[in-house]
Amino acid sequence: MKVLLQLSWFFKQRKKQYALGIAALVLVSILQLLPPKIIGIIVDDITLGRLTAPGLTKWLIILGIAGILMYFARFYWRVMIFGSAVLLSRTMREKLFNHFTRMSPSFYQKRRVGDLMAHATNDINALQQTAGMGILTLVDSISTGGFVILTMAITINWKLTLIALIPLPFMIFLTSYYGRLLRKRFRFAQEAFSNLNDKTQESITGIKVIKTFGQQKEDIEDFTNLSTDVVGKNMRVARIDALFDPTITGIFAVSYILSFYFGTKYIIAEDMSIGDMVAFSTYLGLLVWPMLAFGFLFNIVERGNASYSRITELLSIAPEITDLPGAIDKRPEGDLHFDIEEFKFPSDEALALHNVHFSLKQGETMGIVGRTGSGKTAILKLLLREFEGYKGSIVYGGNPINQYKQQRLRESIGYVPQDHFLFSTTIAENIAFTNPKIAKEKIYEASRLAQIHDDILGFSEGYETIVGERGVSLSGGQQQRVSIARALIMEPELLILDDSLSAVDAKTEEAILEALKQYRTGETTIITSHRLSAIQHAHKIIVMHEGTIAEAGTHEELLAMDGKYKEMYELQQLEVMVEQGGEV
Amino acid sequence: MSVEKQPKLTGKDQWQVLKRLLSYTAPHKASITIALVLLIMTITGGIVGPLIIQRFIDNYLTPLNFPEREVTAIVLLYIGIQLFMVVVSYFQLMRFQDIALKIIQQMRIDVFSKVHGLGMRYFDKTPAGSIVSRVTNDTESIKDMFVSVIVTFLQAVFMLIGVYIALFSLDVKLALISLLLLPLFLAIVVIYRRYSTDFYQDLRERLSQLNAKIAESLSGMGMIQAFRQEQRLEAEFDEINEKHFRAGMRNIKFDGILLSPAIDLLYTGAIIFVLGYFGFISLDSPVEVGILYAFTTLIGRLFQPVQQVMQRLSIFQQAIVSASRVFKLMDDNDMEPEQQIVKNAEIGDGKIEFRNVSFSYDGKADVLKNISFTANAGETVALVGHTGSGKSSIINLLMRFYEYERGDIFIDGVSLKEYPQEELRQKTGLVLQDPFMFYGDIESNIRLHNKEMTPEEVRGAAEFVRANDFIEKLPGKFSHRVTERGSTFSSGQRQLVAFARTIATNPKILVLDEATANIDTETEVAIQASLEKMRKGRTTIAIAHRLSTIQDAELILVLHKGEIVERGTHQELLSQKGLYHMMYELQNSTIEDVI
Repeated sequence: MKVLLQLSWFFKQRKKQYALGIAALVLVSILQLLPPKIIGIIVDDITLGRLTAPGLTKWLIILGIAGILMYFARFYWRVMIFGSAVLLSRTMREKLFNHFTRMSPSFYQKRRVGDLMAHATNDINALQQTAGMGILTLVDSISTGGFVILTMAITINWKLTLIALIPLPFMIFLTSYYGRLLRKRFRFAQEAFSNLNDKTQESITGIKVIKTFGQQKEDIEDFTNLSTDVVGKNMRVARIDALFDPTITGIFAVSYILSFYFGTKYIIAEDMSIGDMVAFSTYLGLLVWPMLAFGFLFNIVERGNASYSRITELLSIAPEITDLPGAIDKRPEGDLHFDIEEFKFPSDEALALHNVHFSLKQGETMGIVGRTGSGKTAILKLLLREFEGYKGSIVYGGNPINQYKQQRLRESIGYVPQDHFLFSTTIAENIAFTNPKIAKEKIYEASRLAQIHDDILGFSEGYETIVGERGVSLSGGQQQRVSIARALIMEPELLILDDSLSAVDAKTEEAILEALKQYRTGETTIITSHRLSAIQHAHKIIVMHEGTIAEAGTHEELLAMDGKYKEMYELQQLEVMVEQGGEV
Repeated sequence: MSVEKQPKLTGKDQWQVLKRLLSYTAPHKASITIALVLLIMTITGGIVGPLIIQRFIDNYLTPLNFPEREVTAIVLLYIGIQLFMVVVSYFQLMRFQDIALKIIQQMRIDVFSKVHGLGMRYFDKTPAGSIVSRVTNDTESIKDMFVSVIVTFLQAVFMLIGVYIALFSLDVKLALISLLLLPLFLAIVVIYRRYSTDFYQDLRERLSQLNAKIAESLSGMGMIQAFRQEQRLEAEFDEINEKHFRAGMRNIKFDGILLSPAIDLLYTGAIIFVLGYFGFISLDSPVEVGILYAFTTLIGRLFQPVQQVMQRLSIFQQAIVSASRVFKLMDDNDMEPEQQIVKNAEIGDGKIEFRNVSFSYDGKADVLKNISFTANAGETVALVGHTGSGKSSIINLLMRFYEYERGDIFIDGVSLKEYPQEELRQKTGLVLQDPFMFYGDIESNIRLHNKEMTPEEVRGAAEFVRANDFIEKLPGKFSHRVTERGSTFSSGQRQLVAFARTIATNPKILVLDEATANIDTETEVAIQASLEKMRKGRTTIAIAHRLSTIQDAELILVLHKGEIVERGTHQELLSQKGLYHMMYELQNSTIEDVI
């Protein structure tokens, strides 16, 4: 029940709705008592021959009014209680989403999207259940259950009531136990299903390989085995699921037999009438739901507890990088001084960077080369202020970057990442990501600079072509160029290309670099690349090796230095020689 | 998580789909009969119970006369029936589940097999995600229908019949009047169905939009933050969230108006009617109160199944939509090219000849125009050219991924179309540009489904292509797990595994699509060396991106816009000073610039 306390902030916020909803629910559980009672009275009146037309009419009218009142009350509590529950899920989802947007990259580095999605869907769903079904089962099992039992005990026969109730706790226990088993087995069934899903996904993505090796039959066999597993796991679920109805039937049958057996004795002893007996057995029927609800309640609340603590845990994670008090509200521009003594990623033991010092004047272009893991990306991530906790300083435009407002710092930087992520919307919207209302002409201009304009015009819908799963799938090179256009459109003070030309061919690469050179005269550019051709014209090149600068200088200076850069170059030259196979 | 459009179905379409769905029950006739018998027994038990109580009330309780034998008999009968019902209803529920699950399994296997029979054309125009959805998610929602809707529906029908039989046996006149409930039920169900379908559909779509938005935002959070679009995204999300909330509220209200509150109201109405009927009759003539009891109890049993049917209409609707999509896939006739086997042709030396082959994917623009060339046994023919020049199409035809009509391709003088499929698959090995790795381990990725291959053969193949160098360094070596499409391996390593996989089948003809991705130098050396070894003694058709890798090819074809514009050896082509020469210069100058 802890979760109900933890959700009290929400219940308080919606106290009017909950109060009215619960009141309606209680009203229903009271009005529900009328039909059996009236049936009992009429039965008695008939057996005793004392029924009169006006009397009968009176009872029927009362019943009619009760029925109509119940209709409205039932409608009303649904809107109030279930409605509030839907509102809770909306509120929590919003909180979670807004929280997600504030989390630093390190947060996403540690977690998988799938897991976060599970919180946003399953856990929120469990909370909605708690605030809706949870409240309903709690109130209904107490009020309906309570009122029915009280009515049976007070107006009919308390001894008989106690006797009839004996089997019912077993039902609560059993259904609650089934519920738990069911959930466990259901999870296995889900797993089996998701295996099947993965298998299908794999077969379809790898269809060419399967066709090439002529292994369709074997693959179908494999699929058949997995689908048999799905059937098996689902049957295990069914074995429990099918227990509910028979259990309820069985336990209530025991209850009925007990009531009639002892009821008959009381009737013989003239402690109660036949009408009482009829009413009693109808009341017993009314107890099915509250008993079931009581069993459900435990499971709902148990799930709600787990989900609520998972969500609050997630929400309590503070963003690692925040604006300092009195942060500078100005877009940084100017020279860049990068002086890092030491830095390591929070998840790593080893230093990612040490003794990295360089300066870049406004308007200059710098190239960073080095192997994967040499620290290229770490430098960029620090520049973007995705990570902090380094020894040293990064000064941009006269101030350390952590003294700017994050928003302002990012306004200066146009970042094109390695893993060019595009949103599943139109190409135009992807390019105009920073400003959806920007003029079409600007979008074309950025696209032309990124050498993607002609490609886009070649698509059937042009700039309105939707990319991603629902639309056209772009080649890696096209995706890279769209993300370059997306960064260029904001006319950034500092453009960062993080190995963003790897999938474009040499000619296009050259054209893009040339366009950048002409168009970006006063602004600063940093390019990292595997291919030396992408950075050879830079004003300054640094060669990263094992987290530090091994060499720095211009292309010519570096070659003259006879070091790593030269080595890389020689390796490439060697490749050329090997490729030419000694024919030259 | 993509949001898919739901096809609009007319009533007639829906009926067709349902009929076809139900045809899947045919192989289970016997089992279904048993399940139905069990169902009828359960329902009969449920109806007989109140009737026994009625007898008890009228015959023994009202007159307060309890002959021991008769009463014992009736009590034992009641207990017996209840016990029987508990057992029978369990087996009945299980039986229906079993049938439903088996039907769905069959359907899944059918769809999956169908997918395997489809030609590459289908995969080109259909996103993988939506095919997967057909095989798994859509069949899952059909399962829900078989499991819950059909059983509930049958239950409701039998319950209605059973209750009415009982009512007629008790009081014909009142039972006749009670028949009026049927059109009322029907009206509620029809009205409910008309609106709930749309409302529920709307809610479902909004939810999938909502989840798609969260999923995409999470994957693209880096970009959203780098471009400081958090607030815009939050606003967009709020809007979707709000719409989803409204749809949810509308559903609650609608269900509140027509679902259980309405059914309960109707039930109260029915009780009033029954009481009134017996009450007013009793004013003139005696009435058996047991019958009154039985009537009120039995009529109550009519309402529950109706409500359950209504609650499950949306599942039904969803299943029909899903089924229509599944059937559409099953009816697709973009099949694999068919072989016209003339004789049991076998590939011997592996001489390949393309003779005047023209080809178009869409029937409009030709991507291959009159292609003719010969690759003699054991020779290498290299294909070079820009993206879209037709290199891959040549391979696609040679691999029988697509059917061609104009011109012909021969292996050892026999048309490609006349070989049995297995012969072609066995004797030709294709290495794809982006090698695909399956879930499993290294060994299973080399042997694939071939159970006859010994571990030694697997190792031999790996050794041959020099893949063992890196495999031996992995923890677990050949049993090292491969997960997430082999993303833990470099593309060079994946390529080597793909080589091993191909060489393990010892093909006569080798088709290579060279990888363009960055490959580290060490692996690159291994790849080049093993390529050379693999090509020995095999006819090879290779797409080359780096001209340097194919300089020793016996024939190089330079393609441009679907035509062979130059052909010859490396030296011949260089001296021609044509397109090949230009391409060569360009590739070299890129590297020279670095120098």
